[in-house]
Amino acid sequence: MARIEFRHIEKRFGDVMVIPDMNIDIPDGEFVALLGPSGCGKSTSLFMLAGVYLPTGGELLFDGHRVNEVEARDRNVGIVFQAYALYPHMTVRENIMFPLRFKKVPPDEARARVLEAAELVQVSELMDRRPSQLSGGQQQRVALARALVKQPQLLLLDEPLSNLDATLRLTMRSEIKSLQRRLGVTTILVTHDQIEATTMADRVICMNKGEIEQIGSPDDLYLRPNTLFVAGFIGSPPINLVDGQAENGHLRAGEGTFDVTGSLPRRVTVGLRAEHMRFGDAGMPGRVRQVEPMGRETLYEVDTDIGTIRVLEAGSTAAHRIDGQVKIAFDRGDTLIFDSDTGRLVPDAHFAANGSA
Amino acid sequence: MVATTLPETSDAQSHWDALAAKARWQNRAKNISLFAFLIAVSVPIIVPYFWLVTLAFSASLGGTDTEVLWASIFILVPALIVLWAWAAIANSRQNAVIGCGVISIATAVIYAILIGDKLHLNGFRFLVDPNFNTQNESIVGAQNNPGFSVATFPSVWRAAGNSLFVAGAQTLIVTMVGSLAGYYISRFKFPLRASMLRSMLVLHAFPTMTLIVPLFVVLWFIGLLDSLWGVMFVLVGIELPFAVFIMKGFFDAVPWEVEMSALADGATRRQAFVKVVLPQVTNGMIAVAVFSFIRGWEEYIFMLTFLIKNSNWTMSLYLFFITEENSLGIDFGLVSAVSVFYVIPSLVLYTVAQKYLLQMSVAGVKG
Ligand SMILES: Nc1ncnc2c1ncn2[C@@H]1O[C@H](COP(=O)(O)OP(=O)(O)OP(=O)(O)O)[C@@H](O)[C@H]1O
Ligand SMILES: [Mg+2]
Repeated sequence: MARIEFRHIEKRFGDVMVIPDMNIDIPDGEFVALLGPSGCGKSTSLFMLAGVYLPTGGELLFDGHRVNEVEARDRNVGIVFQAYALYPHMTVRENIMFPLRFKKVPPDEARARVLEAAELVQVSELMDRRPSQLSGGQQQRVALARALVKQPQLLLLDEPLSNLDATLRLTMRSEIKSLQRRLGVTTILVTHDQIEATTMADRVICMNKGEIEQIGSPDDLYLRPNTLFVAGFIGSPPINLVDGQAENGHLRAGEGTFDVTGSLPRRVTVGLRAEHMRFGDAGMPGRVRQVEPMGRETLYEVDTDIGTIRVLEAGSTAAHRIDGQVKIAFDRGDTLIFDSDTGRLVPDAHFAANGSA
Repeated sequence: MVATTLPETSDAQSHWDALAAKARWQNRAKNISLFAFLIAVSVPIIVPYFWLVTLAFSASLGGTDTEVLWASIFILVPALIVLWAWAAIANSRQNAVIGCGVISIATAVIYAILIGDKLHLNGFRFLVDPNFNTQNESIVGAQNNPGFSVATFPSVWRAAGNSLFVAGAQTLIVTMVGSLAGYYISRFKFPLRASMLRSMLVLHAFPTMTLIVPLFVVLWFIGLLDSLWGVMFVLVGIELPFAVFIMKGFFDAVPWEVEMSALADGATRRQAFVKVVLPQVTNGMIAVAVFSFIRGWEEYIFMLTFLIKNSNWTMSLYLFFITEENSLGIDFGLVSAVSVFYVIPSLVLYTVAQKYLLQMSVAGVKG
């Protein structure tokens, strides 16, 4: 088990700067998710931890010791790759056994550990098959067993669930989570699926273009996003973003004007979560444009003075029809106001009144 | 809903049966015409080889009789056609196997009865008799060609050994160096990588004949003229670029992540290469090895130019001089028998390695 620190880590490939300056501190035993869109440098960060890539700057610390130059094989890091990367010419047993071949583990103990790891992820019946004879979910479990069998001090999972179907993903999600609890191993999960990140991890690191946008609990990221990017990335359906200008103490957005507390930059973006919007007797008038039943909830798209607003309401049967006239209300505390130019949250700015035009 | 237009059940049944029967016959007709086409196309390729084999086992000294050839063709071709037709028509797998067995045995019996006594192994005397050529000389060479000096032939096993050495050593070097270089080019970036790849293809397209004179001079300078090692190195040089190119294609198909995974699992770079990457390209290595071996085994021009002593003769030179020797006084049986002996290793290799050679055309394309 180890405590992991990134100190001013920089990684470039030739002229391409992938990670300019990364600072993270992960306490021993924590489950952290690295969340970000495709190509933002998640895998690259993992590979630096695994020792496959060398950082081009900064310091990487395991338990306070600098490990930048330590070889991959000496780091005792278990890693599950995006495409599993099982060894196709070996059986499941040989795959799981492979890491132990390089440690001086006596054969009897090695066999016992392989069995134990296989049972942990429930692949003991598949031991003599080859990877090509396994389903995606089974391959994923074998890769997990292979990563766990060496009792790593750090477990790295690179989008381990991306190739699974929806049901299996749900099962594996909770299995990995409880496995991590049980073993207490420091774990970093890479994903571009925000639901995966928020449901599995203790803490989420949200990345964009090689930079960390925010580190926090799933709640922090959802309720108190630091940046426009985080607000837009977290939450489903996506947050409503409305462009506006500050005009002598008021906020103008489209045809609407709002009273605001706190000082505003000139150009702002207002974030309104669809699930914080509700229909009421008073509020912003609008006309329903689209109705999408989503099982327990119904999503409406409503044309208003400030643009098209998504509203999520509980209930499977639609209470409003297309072209119906509605009024949208929301609580002032739920509004998020961002500086459009910097993309950062203006923390002390809020609407002065609950939602109304 | 009311069923109005459906025909009665039995009618409908016979209707479907008729359609099924039609489909079956169409399938058979298709198979038969396909086989007919394949036979027609393969005749020009197969007949010369067939002739070679019949001659090797039946030719008598000094004559060019085609009796056995025609007899064989008249027995075997109809037998083959019957065989194929049966395989196409037979209505179960078991019937097909039994029928084919019966036809083959019947053919063999007829063949033995009609031609059996004309077959002999006299052509193959060169395998055991070091003085096989004196027979030739006394009967034909001396009569037709007085004063013509007959070359002294080394033992055919010596020639085969030489060929084996050149082809084998060449194969070993080409496969090993080709794999390592292919791996390096596939995995690492270095200056001029792209132009190096391109030049490799160009090198392979270069007609090797143009290199003969410079190579001769070079070999003479470094003292490897008339040496098996010299020819071997020349062949390595000619074959290597293409081998590197093919192997690069195979290495490209092995994902990076598998290798990284081995590193993270505790392997050194070398262990990762040997234990994880190499096993995934063995097919490619086999394909490259087979091709280089056959190339070395069949090489003729370089051998003729760079090898002089008869103790250095390879199989291709052996065959060449046998033909040369017999071009006036003719022992077709001997020439054919040597040819058959010469061709067998290539044939066996191709047959055994077919599977891998096919893969090469697939993986090689990725460049
Ligand atoms: N070996 C390399 N050479 C050059 N650029 C690279 C290399 N590896 C990655 N990159 C670049 O670095 C960036 C980050 O890549 P990375 O694989 O870390 O993304 P990711 O966040 O894991 O994305 P995904 O979710 O698609 O897996 C990408 O823009 C990629 O093009
Ligand atoms: Mg990735």
